[in-house]
Amino acid sequence: MEIARELRYDIYDLFLTMPEPLIARNLRYGVEERVTNKGKVLTEINQDDLNKIASQIEDENLESVGVCLLNSFANVSHEEKVGQFLQEKFPNLAVSLSSKIMPEIREYERSSATAMNAYVQPLTSSYLNKLKTELVKKGFGGKLNIMISSGRLTTIDEAIKTPIHLLESGPAGGSMAGVFYGKLFNEKNLLCFDMGGTTAKASLIHNGAPEITNHFEAARVKRFKKGSGLPVRIPVIDMIEIGAGGGSIARLNSLNLLTVGPESASSQPGPACYNLGGEYPTVTDADLVLGYLNADYFLGGTMQLNIEQARKAIDKHLAGPLGISIEEAAMGIHKIVNENMANAARVHILEKGMDPRHFSMIGFGGAGPVHAFGVAKLINSPNLYIPVGAGVASALGFLVSPIASEKIHSHISNLADMDWKEVNDFLDNMQSEGKRFLKKYGNKNSSIHIDRIVDMRYEGQGHEITIHLPEGPLSEKHLSEIKDRFQKEYTFKYNRSIEGIEIQTVTWRVQVKGEIPSIDVVQKDITYKNSTPLKGTRKVFFEETGYLDCPVYDRYNFEKNVTLLGPMIIEEKESTTVIGINSEVEVDTIGNIKIKLL
Amino acid sequence: MRKTKTKFDSISLSILWARLISIVDEAGTTLQRTSFSTVTRESNDFAVVLMDRDGRSIAQSSISVPSFLGVLPILTKALLKDYFSHDAWEEGDVVMTNDPWLCAGHKPDIGIVSPIFHQNELIGFIGTIAHSPDMGGVLWGAGSRDLYEEGLMVPPTKLMQAGVPNLTLFNILEANVRAPMQTIGDIKAQIAANDQGIRSLAKLMEENNLTDLQDLADVIIDNTEESMRKALAAAPDGTFTYSYDTDGDGKGNPCHFEIAIEIQGDEILVDYAGTSDAHPLSINAVLNYTFAYTAYPIKCAFNPEIPNNDGAFYPIKVIAPEGCLVNAQKPVPLGARNITGNMLHSVVFGALAKVIPNKIQADCGSACWCIVLNGTHHGNEFVEYFFLNGGYGARPQLDGPHCLSFPTNVANVPIEVLENDVPILVTQKALVNNSAGNGQYRGGLGQIFGFKNIGEKDLNISILAEKTVSNAKGLLGGEDGAQGKVEIIPHRDFPSKGLDKLKPGEELILTLPGGAGYGPPSKRDKTLIERDRLLKYID
Repeated sequence: MEIARELRYDIYDLFLTMPEPLIARNLRYGVEERVTNKGKVLTEINQDDLNKIASQIEDENLESVGVCLLNSFANVSHEEKVGQFLQEKFPNLAVSLSSKIMPEIREYERSSATAMNAYVQPLTSSYLNKLKTELVKKGFGGKLNIMISSGRLTTIDEAIKTPIHLLESGPAGGSMAGVFYGKLFNEKNLLCFDMGGTTAKASLIHNGAPEITNHFEAARVKRFKKGSGLPVRIPVIDMIEIGAGGGSIARLNSLNLLTVGPESASSQPGPACYNLGGEYPTVTDADLVLGYLNADYFLGGTMQLNIEQARKAIDKHLAGPLGISIEEAAMGIHKIVNENMANAARVHILEKGMDPRHFSMIGFGGAGPVHAFGVAKLINSPNLYIPVGAGVASALGFLVSPIASEKIHSHISNLADMDWKEVNDFLDNMQSEGKRFLKKYGNKNSSIHIDRIVDMRYEGQGHEITIHLPEGPLSEKHLSEIKDRFQKEYTFKYNRSIEGIEIQTVTWRVQVKGEIPSIDVVQKDITYKNSTPLKGTRKVFFEETGYLDCPVYDRYNFEKNVTLLGPMIIEEKESTTVIGINSEVEVDTIGNIKIKLL
Repeated sequence: MRKTKTKFDSISLSILWARLISIVDEAGTTLQRTSFSTVTRESNDFAVVLMDRDGRSIAQSSISVPSFLGVLPILTKALLKDYFSHDAWEEGDVVMTNDPWLCAGHKPDIGIVSPIFHQNELIGFIGTIAHSPDMGGVLWGAGSRDLYEEGLMVPPTKLMQAGVPNLTLFNILEANVRAPMQTIGDIKAQIAANDQGIRSLAKLMEENNLTDLQDLADVIIDNTEESMRKALAAAPDGTFTYSYDTDGDGKGNPCHFEIAIEIQGDEILVDYAGTSDAHPLSINAVLNYTFAYTAYPIKCAFNPEIPNNDGAFYPIKVIAPEGCLVNAQKPVPLGARNITGNMLHSVVFGALAKVIPNKIQADCGSACWCIVLNGTHHGNEFVEYFFLNGGYGARPQLDGPHCLSFPTNVANVPIEVLENDVPILVTQKALVNNSAGNGQYRGGLGQIFGFKNIGEKDLNISILAEKTVSNAKGLLGGEDGAQGKVEIIPHRDFPSKGLDKLKPGEELILTLPGGAGYGPPSKRDKTLIERDRLLKYID
């Protein structure tokens, strides 16, 4: 666990530190045993070693243990024996087996995930149990499910066994809301853009489903540096995060270039315009100076912003030293934030093997709608959506996600040499296990949906492509169909396919899903105090035009099904939507804003 | 005559500059996603560089390993001077070469350069360099006796002419390498990466109404150069020397390094005069490569944050006597030149410790050890590379991490993956207690890694180990790290560098060296010592 993968996450930083393993060296124990990569037992478990470990557990008074043995993805029996032994000896000990947490090849990543599960288990289980009992006490009679990182729901019991799957489940909810809106807007491919106070996040929805990755890191030493954390190979909705939010500070770097973030003024002292002593200009200050934000209607008017402080900070630290106007400097901050996000999004979309030009966008979060238009323009999005309830997107996502189970099995084999009987056996097992799980929680057979998926690659490559398997038992007959699906997907992603190289399967997954809950979104709680949607105009700075008198609309009173032309500002309590020139704006019957970029 | 210079304000420059770096990163992503070579893919052993029409580098992909610093612009400038002058390029051309003196110092590194046209004018170049799966010749490593044993050499040649593939060259490649599909697949991935960059650049030019890149290149390069010069000027002037010995073959034919670093105002001159002659093993470095691994620690110490472009390197000059270990000439073998390149930071930091002691690190248990196994598994021939790293050097205020790659950056191969790919059983893998150099800040621990041939046939093995008779040198009173060791059981003579066979049932045990300490051990914090004891890093 301490040797890890031996890679540095920053090549030029001589003073980098690596993340500490979650379980210190004096609490890690070896046990003599050996299983081969084909699952054959070479050396039986040494009982003396186990006894020694048991006495150490007692001495150290340990609450939770993770077990990770070499090649356990190929044969779980040794890990299970160790688990059983410990459980019998210590009935209250939490035991995490790597073959249950992450049954995949690569021992370091598997032990890292197992350690993390063991690390959080005592805490989460007491918390979740308490939540359950307290809710029942308070008269809750419904089913209590919990969101997991891959955008599905699971039961409390499952969450207690593998709490590691709860990582990042909040942001996963946001993406699932994106999936829901995508259906509503009839957009199969979407880039979800969420910007808050310190960071901006983006995730992709492709063909109506969120993009999933199993490369996730927790506890990064440097928040925005890939590789500086502990790897957790569990399915997670793939998200990029950059250090640019409303509170991000703008500075001149050593090359005298304007840079924004990742340093943030956070909420204390906050941006200069909060008037709480913030010295440095932030993104929010720039947005206020440009007229995008309303000093009197920030957070629905609950917080007064001071535009003079914002101008002063920008002038002192940026405009003055650069010899440019305050507006030019403010526009620079706004644009650089958008550029950073667009650059990161483009690389991310390419990493997924897709074309960045075809993604419509959806904007969430407090600062998301302020910057979404600029980002959409930079990545050539055809449409941008600002849905209603953008501030509570995560919670909405929880309501529209299915309950599901995913079983994983590592089986590396060339297609040509596949033992189909073995494949059918493990697929069947995974399938019935999943079905049992769903039925136990009240799902009828008819509402259960099964997805069988395999990650494949050309022999010798390191990146896999995910293919859906044909239904029913598999045999040689399906070879050409599976090959075809792989080649097609490969060609779609890389514009070429390769002849003459064997195709290999790596990880097999069976997802068993219950029905996706359907909910109706209706606009109900809006009071029409004001009969005209147009609140007035104010001076707003756009790059193409400079300051102009820009109409400001009240989102709660917007006329439905009318098309208007940008530019305009649309205000609501939680956020402000900024719409530039060359755009058409439409609001649907529920209040979702659709912006066409012309 | 050029028209008047376009001016860029701080904001548009900041945006355009970030976009250019993003363009090469996008191209790098394309290359990484589709390449077969493990080192390209997993260890970022590649670089994508955008250059102006004179071959000056404007932007380099951010995650590349240091071995390619400055290489593509040197190559492109040489192409323009000696092979294809400005008017010899057409849209859709692609030039390929793996000439070690033009590229990165050994034949597996292939350079692919494409011209960029805008409104029918040649405005610049984009190049990629990447480690290919195979270029023919003997098994890669230190064992080749001359350059010709190291496989095919392709002088700068048009692989594509105006979009039409040069089938003769493709056929020659196919006939000469072990894994033709993978090698040609990777070359095509490099071309695709260049194309991706060209497309993104076209969009940027159009959106920003740019007609050429020269003015932008000037500002970027000038700004970077100025920043590097400022950093160098802040250090005291003087000449600082250091000498250093490494294993060589580990059997009485060592390598010796001499360095004199002269800081004069805002420039730095590195002279390797006195360094030993070219070595009979294929561990010799060409000057391009020596430059990259000399400029790298200098950049880390003086100005780690400036982007990589021509400007960062103008104030750095590197010289070495012709024919010596670090300025090798034809036809000495070069295959495993990385073992020498990966040592240069030790020499550079050793000298710089005398002038900027707070900005450098003590010696690492590098170079990274490389093992190549070749044989048959389930009836198929395989060539498997894997890498192991020793302990990292201590830094001012910080202990060295255990087993971490430096100055290159290559990951290990998981035991389970290794056992899946080749008929071996890994018998042990652990940190080596007490292997770190002590000091006010201690080095990182080395590791022990053992494996056994469990197949029925001999495995060909190419091994590249270092610091088995020398060790990582402590700085400013810090102690040296422990030596490494190569052992075979049952015991017999086994080289630390070169080719041999691992017979069925034989077990190879590799002990990687520890990192060196920084500052006197007497100054070490007591609580750190207690922690080291508790975690059994020390007894």
